[in-house]
Amino acid sequence: MISSPNQELLLTGMLLMAACYGAGALSSLLARGSGRLALVVAHLAALGGAVAGLGVALGVLLGDPHHALTQTLPDLFPFARLSLVVDALSAFFLLVISLVAIAAAIYGPAYLRAHSPDAGPARQGAQALGLNLFLGCMAFLVCAGDALTFLLCWEGMTLASYVLVVSDDHNGENARAGLLYMVMTHGGTALLFVAFLTLTERAGAFDFAALRAAAVDLDSTTRTTLFFLALGGFAAKAGVVPLHVWLPRAHPAAPSHVSALMSGVMLKVAIYGILRFAFDLLAPVAAPLPLSWGWTVLVVGTASAVLGVLYALQQHDLKRLLAYHSVENVGIILIGVGLALILWRRESAGGALATVALTAALLHTVNHAAFKGLLFLAAGSVLCRTHVRNMEELGGLARRMPWTAGLFLLGAIAISGLPPLNGFVSEWLTFQALLGAANRFHGPAGLGIVFSAAMLALTGGLAAACFVKAFGVTFLGRARSAHAEHATEAPPSMIAAMVWLAVLCVALGVAPGYALRLLDAPTAALLHGPAASAVLSARGPLVLSTALTTSGTHGTAISMTLIAALLIALAALAWVLRRGLWRGATRSAPTWACGMRPTARFDYTATAFAKPLRLVFAALYRPRRAVIRETAGTPYVLARIHYAGEVVDLAETQIYHRVQRGITILARTIRLRSTGRIHGYIGFVLGALFVALLVFGVGTR
Amino acid sequence: MTIESPLWLKLLEMVLLVLFAPLVTGTIQKLKARLQCRQGAGVLQPYHDLAKLFRKSTVQADTASGLFRLIPVLVLAATVAAGALVPVLRAGPSALPLGDALLLLGLLALARFLTAVGALDAGGAFGGMGASREMTIAPLVEPVLMMVVFSTALSAGSTDLGELAAHRGTSWIFAWHAADFLGFAAMLVLLPAETGRIPVDNPDTHLELTMLHEGMLLEHSGPGLGCMLLASHTRQIVTLGLVAALFFPIAVDGLGVVDLLLGAGAFAEKILLLAIFLALVESSYAKLRLFRVPQYLGIGFVCALTALALRIL
Repeated sequence: MISSPNQELLLTGMLLMAACYGAGALSSLLARGSGRLALVVAHLAALGGAVAGLGVALGVLLGDPHHALTQTLPDLFPFARLSLVVDALSAFFLLVISLVAIAAAIYGPAYLRAHSPDAGPARQGAQALGLNLFLGCMAFLVCAGDALTFLLCWEGMTLASYVLVVSDDHNGENARAGLLYMVMTHGGTALLFVAFLTLTERAGAFDFAALRAAAVDLDSTTRTTLFFLALGGFAAKAGVVPLHVWLPRAHPAAPSHVSALMSGVMLKVAIYGILRFAFDLLAPVAAPLPLSWGWTVLVVGTASAVLGVLYALQQHDLKRLLAYHSVENVGIILIGVGLALILWRRESAGGALATVALTAALLHTVNHAAFKGLLFLAAGSVLCRTHVRNMEELGGLARRMPWTAGLFLLGAIAISGLPPLNGFVSEWLTFQALLGAANRFHGPAGLGIVFSAAMLALTGGLAAACFVKAFGVTFLGRARSAHAEHATEAPPSMIAAMVWLAVLCVALGVAPGYALRLLDAPTAALLHGPAASAVLSARGPLVLSTALTTSGTHGTAISMTLIAALLIALAALAWVLRRGLWRGATRSAPTWACGMRPTARFDYTATAFAKPLRLVFAALYRPRRAVIRETAGTPYVLARIHYAGEVVDLAETQIYHRVQRGITILARTIRLRSTGRIHGYIGFVLGALFVALLVFGVGTR
Repeated sequence: MTIESPLWLKLLEMVLLVLFAPLVTGTIQKLKARLQCRQGAGVLQPYHDLAKLFRKSTVQADTASGLFRLIPVLVLAATVAAGALVPVLRAGPSALPLGDALLLLGLLALARFLTAVGALDAGGAFGGMGASREMTIAPLVEPVLMMVVFSTALSAGSTDLGELAAHRGTSWIFAWHAADFLGFAAMLVLLPAETGRIPVDNPDTHLELTMLHEGMLLEHSGPGLGCMLLASHTRQIVTLGLVAALFFPIAVDGLGVVDLLLGAGAFAEKILLLAIFLALVESSYAKLRLFRVPQYLGIGFVCALTALALRIL
């Protein structure tokens, strides 16, 4: 293997990253002396690791695309050689992980100190260990060069995040959330094991190169079965509907900077897995992928997007609302991935459209990491200053926490897919890919794609409604509880972390052409086709243009930079108008409330805000409400009315509760059969053995 | 092959749109008054209103945050920026690409988002009610609007409005496909919703039973209210301009003074036609109950879906 000086440098970077995360994990030992010191050292180490990871990722993405960074690891197991291979796709996801990890590492110490000042050293040590292990496992998972490293890191990531989920508060709900998370994610891991072991058994080795070679002569049924096994495993981790039920419980339970990492980054690792399996490990040599793959991903993506945002709308817990939005955004990413799977090698003209679809998915991956990270951190600032997650008890925080409010608003605009921020850019690209694909497929397929586009538009509109609610009820109006009334601004280090992510949101929105250069290597490597910036910024980095995807027309071109400049210029002009032509004085007066003296109870609540949409989509929500009227003697005089209303996730009631009931019934039946006498059990064992021999023993003779 | 529009022309179109936006509102009000056998205020009344508001002082709610003062500025900027994306005088893409139909809808959505946020800022029930209702209707309108845009964009292979207008070329209604008729029908259904008029919203009243958009403006006053009103005038003409660009041909191709004047005349004619339509609808229907509005928009959805199906199948 040729190793240039550049490669040497990058390998040193990898080593540095490993050393930093390792040192951070070890720093949990300091907790015996001082828990606070352990936390600070652990977060500093994590910051170092993240910066090193960022350097490595940028080095690979901007360096020679044909040379993957390879490093064999020491032989831990006699049966497998472990290695790290950082190719373009790995580097891109390492970039996403590192970008958010930097923010989380800056944010963490101050947050943990402010949120749980009375935490014991054991908890602080566990958090120090968990965070570094979590980050390290994610970083090395995307860099894994063989199945064993992949699975080990996958399991480490799950366990470390479980520790973090249950570490925050000692209450039963967190423990239940953690348990559900473990069950769901291990179900997914089991599917992954089957998929990987089938491949490794054929290949006789664990490294990806051997798996790739072994997958070449798979028949199409096996190939598709393996893909769906892997998709199921990754979808459980990514929180795709209907496998998402753990997500809105587990993500909010973790400390806020870990929530940001779980939502912003850990879900993306599952996206990485899907891309790695579909385009790399299982892809046929020259044929297009089976249509069932792409359509399945497109359909579950669309369903996730719409249902995720619909359930988000009815949440009053700020962090749970954000967690449901992760379901939505993973859906949007999967729409792009699904389209790329459908279009790949099915286009006549050079494959530019598949590139647009994949670019949209990858760009939304990094965009979502930026704005969801920002929103979770801002929600964390609110949480650590008020200790309240229920929006109905907040309100009026914009005047007490102006920085947090402004940054949350920025994130809200970005996640709603509104220009000129980054959410719009990736949704625009997704729309363009959908439109191009609809042009290519006639008949029901085309109509399905266009319907998916309409659903994406609905998702955008509903997300905007949801964030008007989330921002308005939390930050505007009057304080609705003493907690909100006595809130103060978050410490500077937390604000700095949010500003870092906010800068990313603005930069990716205003000048997406430069970000596309980083996507060149992954798109070209995965699709063996044209690179992202060759297709989309053919007219210079400041213009996004789709001219190459459709033959015979000019395509569509937009310039986010120009629009942003125009907006700034117009805002300056409007500011002059707003000040008034004759600069009259500004008076302050109470809000008009029909002559009454307004109190905090006059403010619109989150429940009230979302009520019209709850009625419009009642068929999907099936809202439960209970009204109890207490009367004073006669039925005509009401003393008090109790109202309770909730919207329960349909997947929970329709699927999981039934499964749970089935398991309970089964367990009860078995319990009735268990007599407690040893002869009976021996009989059972013998019977089972007999049946097993009958079923499996016949074929081998 | 069409010639591309230079940037100065796009900016000129934007300025023209903003300048004439209040006139459209004035015309619709005048037409409505005449249809209801009233004399009505003059067509220039919105200009007088704006001039008065910009000279007044401001009263601000004591619960409002610092954001409240910025809201009118940002809303006006976003709406006017959307005006730069509508082809007015001539068809053809912009030489320096600005944005397409999706960006236009995005900017209008941004303006609506900020308006709703501003409405919640004062902390009154009226603002909240207006914001809640507006954000209920908007997500239902947007996908249908997007589908109408797609139904024309599918044949042109682009979502650039100048490009779409050029693709429509000189073909008048006789050359329309069934999909065009259905798309146009869907657009006409959406038009009152998007411009905030009866049967979806009532621009003339602040009564809490009927209001959507007006409810959100209650706490704004003086120049701030002036900015919000100018923004809603602009939003109306931009929406009408979007319909004109999607469905009416723009024949003028040159860049000479005569060509541009001709284009301006044609544009004024189209806007007047749509304004008459809005005035007729407003005078002949009652406002729908809020929870009937989704059903009303459903008509638009079915039309747009059928248009798309016809275009694709």
